[in-house]
Amino acid sequence: MATTDIETPATAVGARAGTGTLFTRFVGLATIVGMAALGVFGLLLSPPDVQQSDSVRILYIHVGTVWVAYVAFAFTALASAAYLWKRTTSLAWDRFAGASAEIGVLFMALTLVAGSLWGRLSWGKFWVWDARVTSTAFMFVTYVGYLAVRGLGGSHHQRARRSAVVALLAVLEIPLVHFSVKLWRGLHQDSSVADRTNVNLHGLMLFSLFISVIAFTLLYVWLLMHRQRVLAMQDAIDNTGLDYALRQRRDEGDL
Amino acid sequence: MDLTPRPASEAAAPKARNRRKMLSVGLLLFVLLAGILVVSKFLTQSLDYYCNVDEVGQKDGCEAGRRLRIQGVVDKGSITTDNGVTSFNLTFNKVTVPVVYDSGEPGGLFQQCIPVVVHGVMKSGTFEGDDVEVKHSNEYDEKNKNRVATADAEAAACSQSK
Repeated sequence: MATTDIETPATAVGARAGTGTLFTRFVGLATIVGMAALGVFGLLLSPPDVQQSDSVRILYIHVGTVWVAYVAFAFTALASAAYLWKRTTSLAWDRFAGASAEIGVLFMALTLVAGSLWGRLSWGKFWVWDARVTSTAFMFVTYVGYLAVRGLGGSHHQRARRSAVVALLAVLEIPLVHFSVKLWRGLHQDSSVADRTNVNLHGLMLFSLFISVIAFTLLYVWLLMHRQRVLAMQDAIDNTGLDYALRQRRDEGDL
Repeated sequence: MDLTPRPASEAAAPKARNRRKMLSVGLLLFVLLAGILVVSKFLTQSLDYYCNVDEVGQKDGCEAGRRLRIQGVVDKGSITTDNGVTSFNLTFNKVTVPVVYDSGEPGGLFQQCIPVVVHGVMKSGTFEGDDVEVKHSNEYDEKNKNRVATADAEAAACSQSK
């Protein structure tokens, strides 16, 4: 009977069960090594700060996570532009954008939590409506909105077009957030590493910060590869679910 | 051909999709409200002008008698605490104002020679603060690396805005 060779959603996913490859395992291993190094340098080898003492160690989480959030949102915009570019319209770009935004939102949430704890220790408050803090919170809310737009339904290409437009608008917030400390007076300090000639960090602190950026970037790459493959599987389930239903109806018609 | 309606189990997928869609619509509404809240909070706070100590009474919006946020560096040796009232002098650009803060000890890294922002009103030459926020610098250095260097750094911080 014709129905016996129909690919069900379950078999479609089963055919490529798992999202790991040799490369993802290599990146995963490098991430573990990077995070272990961050733990050693951030908690043990880097010195306490002259003013902030041990609370300065939050810097290694705060900066690493916000760096990843910026990178993730920038890649979401690039992938969205690639999807919209003339006739490219490959859903792989859309899934890349979606996966990157999800990770960006997660890391931006971590930035806000780490910043809030650091604020309590240094400013004396968990939260202030300062320009940098407010614009970061606004960006977080915008990208949660982006994820909500992705779930509004319709076909995969409708989802991709809609969310690509939102992503290209939302990315304009990155320069606003970054330069907010220069545009408005506020509590949040300016960048400590403005350029190569203007570094306001003790050597080992700077090195720990460097390790933090590398380790969190590796984590981002690892998460991104897995997540966009999971999204591909979800799309496959939708597609094969539809194919399955259509073929079942056709088979019934043939009987 | 069987044209009877599908059993409930086969209609589950569209139902799940609808649930996901409704969840997304709800999340979008929540995001909209959160965005409005964030912007309105920022704008409300901005109603209190942010002035450097030397701008109080000099710059438009920084008039005495209205709510302000003033920024300056806490003078060395000026902090006193009496019955839950903390008093200190705040200096910026060689202009100093006395500050009284009646809500106990300011939190965070509050200490002498550190930049702070005080919320309150200027009355009869004294700034009556109800909120103190510490504004730490973007410079980080090793603690107790060398006591002379630490003392130099503190002296530099104290004289920075004078």
